[in-house]
Amino acid sequence: MLTSLIVVPAVAALIVALVPSRRSELHLPLGFGLSVIPLAIAGVLFFEFETGSAAMQFTEHVPWYEPWGIAWSLGVDGISLGMIVLTTILIPISLAASTHIDQRVKEFVVFTLLLEAGLIGTFLATDLFLFFVFFEAVLVPMYFIIGIWGSERRIYAAVKFFLYTAFGSAFMLAAIIALGLIHASQTGAPSFELADLMSLEFSGSQERWLFAAFAIAFAIKVPLFPVHTWLPDAHVEAPTAGSVLLAGVMLKLGTYGLLRFNLGLFPQASVDFIPLMATLAVIGIVYGAIVAIVQPDLKKLVAYSSVSHLGFIVLGTFALTSAGLQGAVIQNINHGLTTGALFLLVGMLYERRHTKKIAEFGGLAKVMPIFAGVFLFTTFASIGLPGLNGFVGEFLVLIGTYPTLQVFAIIAASGVIFAAVYLLWAYERVFTGEPDREENKVLSDLSGREIAVLAPLVVLMVVLGLYPKILLDRTAASTEAVLDRIEAVTDYEVPEPGRLADVFVVAESEEGE
Amino acid sequence: MMTLAQLGSDVSWMAIAPELVLALGAALVLLIDVQFKPKTGGSLAWTTGFVLAAAFGFALAQWLRLADIPISERFPFGRMVIVDGTGLLARFVLLVVTGLAVATGWRLFERLGRRRAEALALILLSAAGFQLMAVSVHLVMMFMGLEVGSIALYVLAGITRERADSDEAAMKYFLLGSVASAVFIYGVALTFAGTGSLNILEQNQFLTQNILLAPGVLLVGLALCIIGLTFKVSAAPFHAWAPDVYQGAPAGLVGYMAAAAKVGAFIALWRLVDLGFPTMRASWAPVVAGIAALSMVVGAVLAAVQSDVRRMLAYSGVAHAGFILTGLLSGIDGIRGVWFYLAVYTLQLVGAFGVVAAVTGASTSRSAISDFAGLGRRQPVLAVVFSTLLLGMAGLPLTSGFIAKFGVFQDAWQAGFEWLVIVAVLASVIAFFFYLRVIVTMFMEEPSGDDHASVGVVARWVLALVAIVTVVLGILPAPLLELAGDAVAR
Repeated sequence: MLTSLIVVPAVAALIVALVPSRRSELHLPLGFGLSVIPLAIAGVLFFEFETGSAAMQFTEHVPWYEPWGIAWSLGVDGISLGMIVLTTILIPISLAASTHIDQRVKEFVVFTLLLEAGLIGTFLATDLFLFFVFFEAVLVPMYFIIGIWGSERRIYAAVKFFLYTAFGSAFMLAAIIALGLIHASQTGAPSFELADLMSLEFSGSQERWLFAAFAIAFAIKVPLFPVHTWLPDAHVEAPTAGSVLLAGVMLKLGTYGLLRFNLGLFPQASVDFIPLMATLAVIGIVYGAIVAIVQPDLKKLVAYSSVSHLGFIVLGTFALTSAGLQGAVIQNINHGLTTGALFLLVGMLYERRHTKKIAEFGGLAKVMPIFAGVFLFTTFASIGLPGLNGFVGEFLVLIGTYPTLQVFAIIAASGVIFAAVYLLWAYERVFTGEPDREENKVLSDLSGREIAVLAPLVVLMVVLGLYPKILLDRTAASTEAVLDRIEAVTDYEVPEPGRLADVFVVAESEEGE
Repeated sequence: MMTLAQLGSDVSWMAIAPELVLALGAALVLLIDVQFKPKTGGSLAWTTGFVLAAAFGFALAQWLRLADIPISERFPFGRMVIVDGTGLLARFVLLVVTGLAVATGWRLFERLGRRRAEALALILLSAAGFQLMAVSVHLVMMFMGLEVGSIALYVLAGITRERADSDEAAMKYFLLGSVASAVFIYGVALTFAGTGSLNILEQNQFLTQNILLAPGVLLVGLALCIIGLTFKVSAAPFHAWAPDVYQGAPAGLVGYMAAAAKVGAFIALWRLVDLGFPTMRASWAPVVAGIAALSMVVGAVLAAVQSDVRRMLAYSGVAHAGFILTGLLSGIDGIRGVWFYLAVYTLQLVGAFGVVAAVTGASTSRSAISDFAGLGRRQPVLAVVFSTLLLGMAGLPLTSGFIAKFGVFQDAWQAGFEWLVIVAVLASVIAFFFYLRVIVTMFMEEPSGDDHASVGVVARWVLALVAIVTVVLGILPAPLLELAGDAVAR
């Protein structure tokens, strides 16, 4: 079942590649149609998923080359489930939103489908070698998507994107090799299986070095301050679909990796590194937000808002409380939906006006009311208006962070206010008032196709905002297991009321009174 | 336990049958040319192909019955040659690489006219030389193989003698190569002075049985031998010849020249340090590690600033030499990784130069990166093949290059050279930069100037095959790794 999630997009890419280039009108519909299959599989996965279990489910294990201990080893748990569903949702949407691509359509569809296979593989891999293979391999399709279909400085942005990430993963590769050999020295045979590696015992400095090597790779991917500089370039130059997938899914490889591998494999070092990681996260939240305020370019504004939002996810992760981890996992999904929608909207605006400069617009609400409405709605979701999805994630992160990292939580809360500032101010400048430029007066409102592209995202924003239980039920057991292990292995104790159990006990006693 | 002296000193033609076939084949090619004066190269191509296939067949036959060959028959010709899995694997690689080089560079042979027979004969001879080098356990034998292989390469570098830069490349290669050979043979003489033997195995035996109080002469000798061999694989700081020679020599032959010398010299180097001087590991390992680190850094950094694809590939070859040396440090366990790396890298190298020859002409000496602009549109198949090969050399996952790098890094880490692995992974990142630059040029820039790219039908299929193998081995490396593992066991 899990293998099919990786193989189907790859085969779909092959099928599209076999359609002759001159039939360019076929590639996009065909790719879209085929990309619905993984979505259906992911849907089945989501509802078949057994809630309340922290174990990897639907596991598959095929040895790859036994003397090295590497294996094709897949599994899904509460932490990765949501990301897989999100990926399979965003791929068809990105393809459907890419009708403006008029050259080399076939290659574009092929690369997007290959990207899907790689991204899903990264989330599913439970063998570190396999994880690394996918983690690196996804760079290639994204590199081409930015480099071929991007705007003016696309080559610079593509190369920068590739090199930054490759630099980070170089350290991770060394650490993965070290882990396999440490396993060999402690048990007699090398293994890269996550579950096997969790039973290793490290010396203090060894664990901190390994943690650092993984953390560098993921910090660049997230990106955390000060290694975030590739992100605005990549986002601004990438085509709409590239931005959506970059922000929606690829950045999450970093936050997912921190949660899955850094917290999972190196509990003691994770505890030791809390101050550093939380500080970087908070710097990212505030810095990203402040820089976003002053951006003259709408797409760059959304890009910097990502730096800020992802800071929340990292902060929640290293708060090491139930609510913090849950919030981080949920916020991964939420940010994918809202920022994905924002990039789609900016892309649609760019298709009409061929500029992303905020100063060029004004009064668009009069000309394109539906567009303005969807934009405002997404803005609210992104800011974290209660009732919409962004609220759930950021609120969980903040209440999760408060018991353990009080000061950080207070500073981070300012990020929510800044988000309101930069997004609403941008909305004001673009949409309110009278349209004063001639070009802006003739813009057409959203077409049926564009509404269809945005509708699923908007619906999910509401559903997850009103009924986050559907997701929280599935993530709870896995995030609790991460904390259980940290408490078991280290001296660290989650202060009350940081654990889910504490909260429920409190609630019950209140009812009793 | 038999002593070395008791082990076979008899003649075993079967042990060197692949080399004999190649040498006879070279003579046959020349005879056919003299006797029939063929106008086209068809008959010579078939003859060459047949000779290579026959040599491969002999090597394969030996491989299949290798387990049955008793230890007493493993060291024929007075313990000059060894019959073992590693030597046979080196032959497999060399023969495949030779075949690929002839197939992908055939345009050049067509253009050479009547000189093509000379060129083909020289290729066969040099392959025989490097194969002998890879199966020798006697330093004079090793030197013989080295010289037979190298001298043929000097001539091949200048085979398009109407072009001045080709002559220049040949002259440079000859002069610097001769110095390296001289350094090597001087080192051989000093190790003889130190141990009283020229046989690697006997030298090892002597060193395990005796403690040298003043090993100075021996150490100098070993150092000179290592320098001579690292020159042949173009490791830094002995790499200066490589870019000029790669650029000046005809494009259709450069891939072969680079690949063949690397296979022969690396296997020989492994035999020398790990079979002959494992007792002095503490002395040579830091030197080899230093050369490896320097090669990776110098190669990667200088490759990043080149504007000519061939010079870029030459400097990247310096870096690759460093990666392979990294694997050599882990002794007998490392040979699996080293062989796998050699096999996939030489394959990619020959393939890459095949593309360069197709794009910029088989006999030219300029291959500016800008010539590749827009190749993705002009020749999509070639561009995809070249990209796959470049990504393979860069060591991107899902290509054989990644498995190869992972293997040698893992071995080196296990051998205690963690710092070298860190240097290596960082050098790989720089490598991504310059390989990507060519891919950027091919796919993201508009075509400039005229389209000279032309590639024969055979070459096109062979190149596609090499690219497919690069990906398949990246996904399913187990069969080839097991083969290499078997070789160590046998």
